[in-house]
Amino acid sequence: MAKKKNKQVLRPWCWYCEREFEDEKVLMQHQKAKHFKCGMCPRRLNTAGGLAVHIQQVHKLEPENLPRIENALPGRDGYEVEIFGMEGIPAPDVADYKRRKEIELGLTAGSITQPPAKRPKTENRPLSEEELRAQLEAHKALMGAHETPAPAPSDTNQSAVYAATPQTYVASPAPAPPVSVPPVPVIPPGAPPAFPGLPPPPGAFPGAPPFPPQLPGMPGMPPGPSPPGFTMPPGFPPPPGMMPPFPRLPGMVPLFPPPGVTPPFPLPSMTPPVIADSTPAPPSSSVTPAPVLAQPLAPPQLSLPDPSLAQTNPELKKKTVLKYSEPNFSPDEVRARHPKYYFAKDMLVSIPEAKTDAALAQDAPEVGAIAVAPEEARGKKRARAEDFL
Amino acid sequence: MTEPQQEIKAPPFDSISSLQFSPASSNLLLVSAWDSTVRLYDIAANEEKTKFDHRAAVLSTTFSDASHAYSGGLDASLRELELESEKIHALGQHDDAISSVRYSSEANAIVTGSWDRTVRFWDPRAATAQQSSHQLPERVYFMDTVGHRLVIALASRLFHIFDVRKMDTPEQTRESSLKFLTRALACMSDGQGYATASVEGRIAVEYFDPSPAIQEKKYAFKCHRQTIDDVDHVWPVNALAFHPTYNTFASGGSDTTVSIWDHKVKKRLRQYTRYNAPVAALAFSADGARLAIGASYTWDAGEEGARTAERPSLFVRELGEEVKPKGWSAG
Repeated sequence: MAKKKNKQVLRPWCWYCEREFEDEKVLMQHQKAKHFKCGMCPRRLNTAGGLAVHIQQVHKLEPENLPRIENALPGRDGYEVEIFGMEGIPAPDVADYKRRKEIELGLTAGSITQPPAKRPKTENRPLSEEELRAQLEAHKALMGAHETPAPAPSDTNQSAVYAATPQTYVASPAPAPPVSVPPVPVIPPGAPPAFPGLPPPPGAFPGAPPFPPQLPGMPGMPPGPSPPGFTMPPGFPPPPGMMPPFPRLPGMVPLFPPPGVTPPFPLPSMTPPVIADSTPAPPSSSVTPAPVLAQPLAPPQLSLPDPSLAQTNPELKKKTVLKYSEPNFSPDEVRARHPKYYFAKDMLVSIPEAKTDAALAQDAPEVGAIAVAPEEARGKKRARAEDFL
Repeated sequence: MTEPQQEIKAPPFDSISSLQFSPASSNLLLVSAWDSTVRLYDIAANEEKTKFDHRAAVLSTTFSDASHAYSGGLDASLRELELESEKIHALGQHDDAISSVRYSSEANAIVTGSWDRTVRFWDPRAATAQQSSHQLPERVYFMDTVGHRLVIALASRLFHIFDVRKMDTPEQTRESSLKFLTRALACMSDGQGYATASVEGRIAVEYFDPSPAIQEKKYAFKCHRQTIDDVDHVWPVNALAFHPTYNTFASGGSDTTVSIWDHKVKKRLRQYTRYNAPVAALAFSADGARLAIGASYTWDAGEEGARTAERPSLFVRELGEEVKPKGWSAG
């Protein structure tokens, strides 16, 4: 790759059709060609306002008869908003778009919303006993349904745990991320695992929903890794007093953990309590993944699942430059641990999208509809935007 | 004569991980990439028809029929892609990245292999899509299937050959005849065996039949290397693909070349001109008239190499006589 692309930072996108571009120059060309083109002559203008003035003055159309902006999404085809590349996009739309991008990319809430470069100063003083207690109370109230205060999970991290109380309580009810093998329907040996001609009736494998259903204990829990409302709209930076470390909503990803405070657990998502409380899918004994104790930003080192099978490259006879000499991990595995590509395992369990459609329909129809909808809607929208430019 | 090779416009933004032509048309090419997308290209029109966005890099994708495809990658979930309606359905999860997605027509199932050391079978129409899971000793790197055979290339240079009708025990387990990390795998079109390649510029041709007479025929050879000033430069062989009718095969390496081999007579039939980047993936079309070549950085030199790497590019080559074995007679 010639150009380094940081996933955390959004690519320029067009407000009118929500298409993404490699850089702003291309975006502007696109807008000129697709949205600010005069329908009555070959002229292309730079902005919506320019187009309006052009149509009024050159083609003598009354302002109320102006044609709508072409190729725009519904509600974005007006002249009121002056867009020039990425400039002029209404802040709520930016926030909304970022939130959807985060869900789509599987990033934690807030990870693109505020690029690290613009990190505001965080207040970094030790909290008084009083404040801590108040926050604990507030947190308990928030946690409502799950009043099982788990013991501090790690003694190596005592000090950190102390300072990170709210997070600890969110994360600790899940001792191991239940990324387990769902129970597999037993297939008699010798019988082909081929599919039956007809799909089995719903409930044919009643014990095997790939993921436990949503529990009533979490009413209104939105699907997806970053529920709406967790994203700070840009342009409205929270006042310094509101900034991390505290207070923090449960499940909210700490935007910038203060120095010295290492969350003892992976950045918690909303789901672990749900899974800990429900047990339809017992963890498989064959695969027991250790809890991933890394933050998404610092992927853990690769490790061999079975060290007894470790390989070593044989000696090469003549002078040789081997372009890839790692004997135990493929280039793809190494690449997957690069922060640019790393997909934290704890995010697997936090995204209900993992369920099958059918299972969703059985478990929680409304959740299913929401969970699948964004991707579908996106696919359709892309199809329409595809022939732009 | 028309230009034998065209470059596809609008390739993925990041490295190409796998390529597959539609089983019904040599005009439709499915491409998965590290930019978290699966794209479907129309070759005749030279345009991107559809793009499916994913949450993380996609490592493998496959068609099952002309209108359905499946994808898996770093986010460990298997997705069904409806190519016409452009819908995505999540079918289920592995515990670690899915490295390989294949469709077995024999089992009428989607087969996924993962770094979580399992192979799983899926029925997209079932209420619970996952049908079975099979534990393996190592991480699955590559899979390919021909007839009822499923060949799985594992880490630590292991190979397991399964009969998809009898997945409880492997039909054969083998250690690679190559001494270095396995980097590619492809099954012969005639179902007799498979070829595998390693990071140390070498390809092995293997046969399924365990009888000594047949096993004697297996061999390995060096390729994708170059001697510069008395020093051997050895590149990984990243891609293998068998021609559906002639059963010759193509290999692509990090040395940016693609070669066509006739494994029966142990000869190279053709080496194409270099590409601008390592050859990451190869695919023949179902009718054998086209070869798709994905050229992009394959992380051989880590992040360092990514800084200087060329942008990914995608080519489709119209094939001529060069893929035919010498003295080939139809039928």
